[in-house]
Amino acid sequence: MKRAGGASLRPAPGAILTVLGDWLNAPQRIERLALLRVFVPASVLGFLSSRIIHADYWLGSRGFRVPDLGGDWRQPLYIPALPDWAAWAIGGAMILSGLCLVVGLAARPAALVFAILVAYGTLADRLEAFTVTKLAPVLTLALFFSPCGARYGVDAWLAARRDPSVPRVTHVLGGSIRFFQCFLVTMYSASGIAKARGDWLSKQVLWTHLHDAYQTQASWLLMRALPTWSWWLFQGLVLVFECGAPFWFALPWTRTPALVVGIGMHAMIGLMFGPVVWFALLMGSMLFASFVPDAPLLRIRRMLGMRD
Amino acid sequence: MTSATADRGDGMWLAPSPVGRRSRRVVTVLGIVFLLSIWLDAAGSTLPSFFLPAPLRFFTQVAELFPKASLDAIEWRARGWRCDTGQFDELDVRPLFPIRRDDKENQFSRAMHFYHGDPSVLEALDQYITDAHNRLNPDERVGGVMLLSLRIPIPPMGEPGPRERWQPISDYPSTVTRRHWWMPPEDLRKRRCQDVR
Repeated sequence: MKRAGGASLRPAPGAILTVLGDWLNAPQRIERLALLRVFVPASVLGFLSSRIIHADYWLGSRGFRVPDLGGDWRQPLYIPALPDWAAWAIGGAMILSGLCLVVGLAARPAALVFAILVAYGTLADRLEAFTVTKLAPVLTLALFFSPCGARYGVDAWLAARRDPSVPRVTHVLGGSIRFFQCFLVTMYSASGIAKARGDWLSKQVLWTHLHDAYQTQASWLLMRALPTWSWWLFQGLVLVFECGAPFWFALPWTRTPALVVGIGMHAMIGLMFGPVVWFALLMGSMLFASFVPDAPLLRIRRMLGMRD
Repeated sequence: MTSATADRGDGMWLAPSPVGRRSRRVVTVLGIVFLLSIWLDAAGSTLPSFFLPAPLRFFTQVAELFPKASLDAIEWRARGWRCDTGQFDELDVRPLFPIRRDDKENQFSRAMHFYHGDPSVLEALDQYITDAHNRLNPDERVGGVMLLSLRIPIPPMGEPGPRERWQPISDYPSTVTRRHWWMPPEDLRKRRCQDVR
């Protein structure tokens, strides 16, 4: 399609795809990817630590196994128990691959191995499958498809030693960071919609979830200290933040306030819901790495004594 | 793949992508399917079940986080039928389920939460607890376990009540409702006890 003057006039869908492609591929600071490479597997390993130390109960033959229910919706795939030695081997391989990813040693192969092993563990024991382990395989696969070991890790250090004349990487193609940004916005938005479809518009939900085995000393003290109306305020804030996440993070002037509210929300979740602390750390660190403005990101890097 | 290959002329050194252009497109489409499935699932749509097999869909069922208010706090418990006395006494099953034994992320609480209405799972749970308990406590053998829930009323707002902690069933007041979900048949209990004599 050409204009009279010969200039190209793209059809609208093509133009939209071009704009989307430019947005997707716009270079991003590599520090974001390095933070994700460190904090995603570290949070998942933190969550898994209480399972891996009992690998024989988790994946092996020593613990309770739900029998094969033949396609029951609560059991997406039946996987029989492993011999205990194999369960321990898988637990050890999870730790090894996760730590390799954290320190950036053979980062991409480590990400692939970690993703496969966590996916196996998640399907093998539905009882110990939680949001963290359901998300971990896809999040670490996203790291596998990125140059996550290109800087701030053992791989990068070894490469610099081999050839000191090669300049250090400062940016990556935006796709991998965009995935994490879109994931967070989707997750918040979906969670907000599920809450609105549930009881969050009509009942006090937060208060009722603080009275079982998830209760921490901090949540018990806060329940005693805070006035009743504050629980409605927190509930409203969470709902508005989550349902409106696509807008808060799309608009430049609301992005940083949304980041602060989001980090605050995850900090409160980690403080008040016992074992959910690992989920809070996972989400909070991804939120920070994905959306913190460049200036504070570079300031933190300077404070740590790092340079381009 | 750690050296910068593309100097954009503005001091920006771009890491080379580890995947080719065509693979990037495939990965992008897969990423969109993943995100869309998460969103649709939480929005109550059954669409993802038409194009994702159950083991893959499982990884997208992640966003429905605490959507409902709890009516009561639920505790899952077990009572063992003692071979020596012929009576049901509470068993502390926490040592038998050591993964996160003190909160509701342990396998016993999770199994009861998901399958309290499924006799085949409750029977397997009864068998596991009986075997594991008898192995650890050969002098206090049981022939089977009764599985039950305690519904502990949530205090009204502004009156948080005492700090949550594990306590025996007998210490709970009568306002805490007990409901039995599994009772091992009498002949099974007796047979198990006779088997070891």
